[in-house]
Amino acid sequence: MIRWLIQGIVRDKTRFLFPFIVVGVGVALMITMLGFMDGIFMSMVETTSILDTGHLRLVNKAYYDEEHLNPMDRALGGQKATGKWLEEHSGTSIQWLPRIRWGAILDVPDEQGETLSQTPIQGMAMDLSSASPEIERLKLQKSLVQGSLPQHRFEMLIGYQLAETLDLQPGDSVTLIGQSFDGGLASDNYKVTGLIRFGVFAMDKKMALIDLKDAQDTFYMEDMVTEWLGFFPSRVAFQDYGRRKMELEPELKALKSQPPAGWYVDDDPILLTILEQRNMDEMAKMFLLIRGILLVIFTFLMVLVLWNAALLNGIHRYGEMGLRLALGETHIRLVGLAVFEALVIGCAGALAGSLLGGGLVWYLQEVGVDMGDAFAQSGMMLTDVMRGRLSLEGFVYGIVPGLAASALGTLCASFAIFKRSEANLFREMEV
Amino acid sequence: MLELKQVSKTYRVGNQDFPALKNISLTIEENAFMSFVGPSGSGKTTLLNLMGGLDRPTSGQVLFDGAQLESMNRSELAQIRKQHIGFIFQSHNLLPVYSVYENVLFPLLLNHLKEQDARERVMALVEKVGLTEQANKKPAELSGGQCQRVAIARALIKRPKLVLADEPTANLDTENSFRILELMQDLNEQYGAAFVFSTHDQRVTQFINREVRLEDGAVLWDKAKNGNGELE
Repeated sequence: MIRWLIQGIVRDKTRFLFPFIVVGVGVALMITMLGFMDGIFMSMVETTSILDTGHLRLVNKAYYDEEHLNPMDRALGGQKATGKWLEEHSGTSIQWLPRIRWGAILDVPDEQGETLSQTPIQGMAMDLSSASPEIERLKLQKSLVQGSLPQHRFEMLIGYQLAETLDLQPGDSVTLIGQSFDGGLASDNYKVTGLIRFGVFAMDKKMALIDLKDAQDTFYMEDMVTEWLGFFPSRVAFQDYGRRKMELEPELKALKSQPPAGWYVDDDPILLTILEQRNMDEMAKMFLLIRGILLVIFTFLMVLVLWNAALLNGIHRYGEMGLRLALGETHIRLVGLAVFEALVIGCAGALAGSLLGGGLVWYLQEVGVDMGDAFAQSGMMLTDVMRGRLSLEGFVYGIVPGLAASALGTLCASFAIFKRSEANLFREMEV
Repeated sequence: MLELKQVSKTYRVGNQDFPALKNISLTIEENAFMSFVGPSGSGKTTLLNLMGGLDRPTSGQVLFDGAQLESMNRSELAQIRKQHIGFIFQSHNLLPVYSVYENVLFPLLLNHLKEQDARERVMALVEKVGLTEQANKKPAELSGGQCQRVAIARALIKRPKLVLADEPTANLDTENSFRILELMQDLNEQYGAAFVFSTHDQRVTQFINREVRLEDGAVLWDKAKNGNGELE
């Protein structure tokens, strides 16, 4: 019987083509839309985490409370001991990287050593040695517009737009003038070795990177960092970060009761997920809500269209349904088989839609859409190139509503079958 | 095999009752080859509906092999139709996307027979109705007479006890009508299924063994053929 039904579906284009196209296009649109939305949001999450918050962040509470002021005097001591503890207690699935966030004036001298130009900049210090995972995580090698990565002490990378503003080239010397850990004047000469395109307008215009050791020397922060950023593998969803944080918190509490040497008396490190910073939680909720609403709207529209398609199909097959009732099929079985047919067509449509939608998302993931001009003045931590994100979840959210709409649309239309009276069959089938 | 006892059927339209059948009592024997004749609105189709378990009487009993059809639920009636009753409609109502072979096969699939087990049986019946050459053709490629032959094969394939045919020759020319009636007569003798027609067609009379005339929902007369082939 199933083979017989499938033969009918394959041979009868009017039964097959329209619902196939509706489901196919619907699923393709859904997968593309969700893939692109996921891609943009996850790209924002990743960019923010890499450049700013990590997936998890260990930071002194006092520093976090005032971080807009760059309060380096509230940095966390005992870098080596803390790093060792994090490595031992977080498991291998999270990578912890020490950072120092700093702010300073970048002074460009002329040949006589007089100030040629200067500007306030934001900076980040991290391990820039050749074996450092930071190089890969920030894609520094690929992001180099000009020059090379730092190889020696007191070398610096700067955003390419900052370099344009200050008319700097790789090899030029600059002076950092800032505030030391204990409030004194801090000043050191650095050599610009490379110009970086971060892909985030705000950073390309104002950011400089130096090695962690150099920053500790410049700002008198021996064995201190402003924060530790923790990164999960990409398979860990952002919704899980909170649970992973809660697993680590009791251990941190135990550590605080017996703090390592190097911590100051008032050091009180706290753990924060990315969702607890930069208003990301609200954005994530809003993102999930919008995604859910779009999902419901799309599914509803598909149900409406497929309902109509099933009604047309019911008219097209009015004689067949009557005949089958007369031959002894029950109403419920007729409806069941109609739903089965709809699901077969839905599966074919969903497969085609998945290939089409998956292909589009793959293209968006690999090539992306350059929105750099649109975001140029936004200052948001968004990469210039918006990319899709191909994920199993995207396919599930595309295919399941597609199949559900096929079944629901047919069920709605099948009320006509239930209403049909056998007593009228002879008369109905005269023509 | 089928017995109607004091069967009445009344339709209610708005506030008015319209009696379609009035106290009909009939017995249909196995192997019967008979027709209901009468003008439009005399109750022929209503009677076929009741005999085929497609409708229920307002009063009276319809007994199929001793089972009361009027007390059965929808799915029990469907089961009786599926196993024991074949239908031939005025319009052949073949499924257009399936071949002759597949249209004839269909009732067996509804009865959960597998195609490989049913193939020989289907082809034998297709041959019997003279359509072996057309077995793989679609209904659109056949003439009206050929389509009605397929409909007959479809009605008979499950070896029903009763075949109900509503105006089976109404859409056919004289030559095709005769061929169809001869075929049904032949199959009635070979398969032993009772054939009951409703018809306006006087040409049918020379083929049937019994004729029941209905007027205004009541039996006007019920005649069977005598040894001379005359209805009396």
